Amino acid sequence: MDVVIALGMNGIVWGLIIALIALGLSIIFGLLDIINIAHGDFFMVGTVLAWFVLQTTGNYWLAFFIVPIIGFGIGALIEYSVIQPIKNAAALSIVATFGLSIILQESVRATYGAAPTRLVPPITGTIPMFGLEYEIYRLFAAAVSIFAIALFFGFLHRTKFGTWMRAVRFDPEMATAMGIPARKIYMVTFAIGFAMAALGGVVAAPITTVDFQGGVDILPFCFMAVIIGGLGNLEGTVAAAVMLAFFEGVMASFFDPTIARIGSLCLMSIVLLIRPHGIFAGATR
Amino acid sequence: MTKDPKTKQPSRNTKTGYTRRSFMQTTLAGGAAAAGAYFGIIHRADASGPIVIGHQCELTGGFSSWGYWHDKCAKAAVKLINDGGGIAGRKLEMAVGDTESNPAAGARKLRSLIQRQKASFIVGSVHSGIMLASIPIATELKTPYFSAGEATEATGSKGSRYSFRTGTDTYALAAAGVPWAMQNLGKNWTMIFPDYAWGHSHHREHRKLIEAAGGKVNDPIAVPLGTKDIVPYLARIPKETEVLFSVFFGALSVAFYTQQKSMRLDEKMKMYSVSGTIEAIDPRDIGGATEGVYFLENFPRPLEFKNDEYHKKFNELMNVDDVYAKEKGSNKVMAKSHCWQSYENFFVLKKAIETSGWKSQKDTQGVIEALEGLKMENSLAHPQGSKELRAEDHSGMIDCYMSRVEDSKFVIKKRIPRADLEAKLPPRYDFRKYAL
Repeated sequence: MDVVIALGMNGIVWGLIIALIALGLSIIFGLLDIINIAHGDFFMVGTVLAWFVLQTTGNYWLAFFIVPIIGFGIGALIEYSVIQPIKNAAALSIVATFGLSIILQESVRATYGAAPTRLVPPITGTIPMFGLEYEIYRLFAAAVSIFAIALFFGFLHRTKFGTWMRAVRFDPEMATAMGIPARKIYMVTFAIGFAMAALGGVVAAPITTVDFQGGVDILPFCFMAVIIGGLGNLEGTVAAAVMLAFFEGVMASFFDPTIARIGSLCLMSIVLLIRPHGIFAGATR
Repeated sequence: MTKDPKTKQPSRNTKTGYTRRSFMQTTLAGGAAAAGAYFGIIHRADASGPIVIGHQCELTGGFSSWGYWHDKCAKAAVKLINDGGGIAGRKLEMAVGDTESNPAAGARKLRSLIQRQKASFIVGSVHSGIMLASIPIATELKTPYFSAGEATEATGSKGSRYSFRTGTDTYALAAAGVPWAMQNLGKNWTMIFPDYAWGHSHHREHRKLIEAAGGKVNDPIAVPLGTKDIVPYLARIPKETEVLFSVFFGALSVAFYTQQKSMRLDEKMKMYSVSGTIEAIDPRDIGGATEGVYFLENFPRPLEFKNDEYHKKFNELMNVDDVYAKEKGSNKVMAKSHCWQSYENFFVLKKAIETSGWKSQKDTQGVIEALEGLKMENSLAHPQGSKELRAEDHSGMIDCYMSRVEDSKFVIKKRIPRADLEAKLPPRYDFRKYAL
């Protein structure tokens, strides 16, 4: 029973980190209708930037502040140069972001290198947790994710810019007619999506690795969360990411973890069959 | 032959205008042309022009941190050979095919190397999936192929008369490492590995030897490729485990060492692995996560553990330091236990070509026969050390080294001479009985 609880809790912790990354994917889809194949690479760029900040300043804590800001800037640049020219062409967005993914990966490989490295967590040590020596940093990472997600929803619901973002999501033509700068909203939304994935990279880098292909494997899980949560449904994405990871964690304590992953995929298929627009689709927009 | 009852002429298809005879003539002529073209490809090498050797290499994709070194080694070998007068007086040309670290792309590039770029021999991939996809193609095109990966099938169940390997496979690594590890690390083993050919191959070979030596092997833990969070898998390791044998690659390997360290597993059990899990990675770059881990290597990283002029010169050629094997002026760490094969294999081929008097593709049988049982002496051509390409199973018999990471440096605990290895490693296949 101890292992079940431990792996269930670990699932929630990991799910919160995934939720932070998947939320960026969801807002980009929800507002811009962009199926962003490069989102995993935004996460990877975050891990590499975290490594870079640590190398240059010697202080990992700075990465939690600097990397999302840099990510925001890169995101705005990408929106201007890649996304804007293909606006309103969803099929093209897959091709364009796939190309972007290759460019980001190969740029990192050419500069940072192809060998993976590890970042030592800024908080070391473990605590005994239901029979496991559990890393304290993971709990901290979960706390940072909760804080960042709460901050985002606060921004979305409590600020003028957030209201504009919701308005543009709801009805872009009407929002534009009302004088809301839709163009600027698109750019800022995409940039926030990048910044959140990059922050996810900073949070997750000491747990996983820094590697030029580090974003490839995280993308399917993010897409699963977005699909199960309801395309473009932000609260649903967060809930689905945590639920999926928890489900996998609990399953992994009874079955082989590979079976647990198959179970997650089956769950996604069932959800798509019963509720094709996701569990929380009713709340979309 | 049927004839038209009215004209008494062979019956003609009114739509195409062909008679049965003209159709047969055309078909036979086409077949003859195709066969001619095929033999033209097979007998492609000009008997006096440059000799083309293909290098199937991972320049991009997940294995590119290794591929960089395989490419660098191959280029250094080609330069040395050409500076020394080439092969049998002919210039050596290398054609490179980037596999993109992908078996499908690797197989396609191999065909291109042989059929378009007219490579007569192939120095092949270090990626087990790619090399296993490539061997049937090389065999079909009757081109000797040197694997550099470790899956034992390349010189085993999926091998052929055309498939060779100068380095070790999982069979050899198990034979080299298990006796010492059983004696010094413990008898209760758990194996954790990625869920694909390489990991399963290690599990099969190690399990046999451990159980034969009276050890216990717990249920294996196969981790799906692309896993980020390894904690659920680490939680399944039985508490009674004395030796945790891990076989991961690249980012998954770093994730494994990082996460096991944070769960303090290394304080409860001995950690043992093979060099492939730490290739192209400097222990200093992963924050001490591999400190205390035992690795079975094919070529010691520090010069001091095989301190001779050839090793030193090889390090100079590769522009790496003599302790960490790190490239001077960059952060790249040499994939030393594997990439030497992409250097030495050119010299192996040179020797076999010159010994057999190979002139063109029709003489390939002679090269294969020369390769079977070829002996190589410790030299600048073979800086890894003396070795033999065993005649029966086309496998390299080489010295291996048991190392432990201490203060981020690989410290040799035991050298396993190739004679010891050969005694524990009877050949399971005899490819000499296979048709050419």
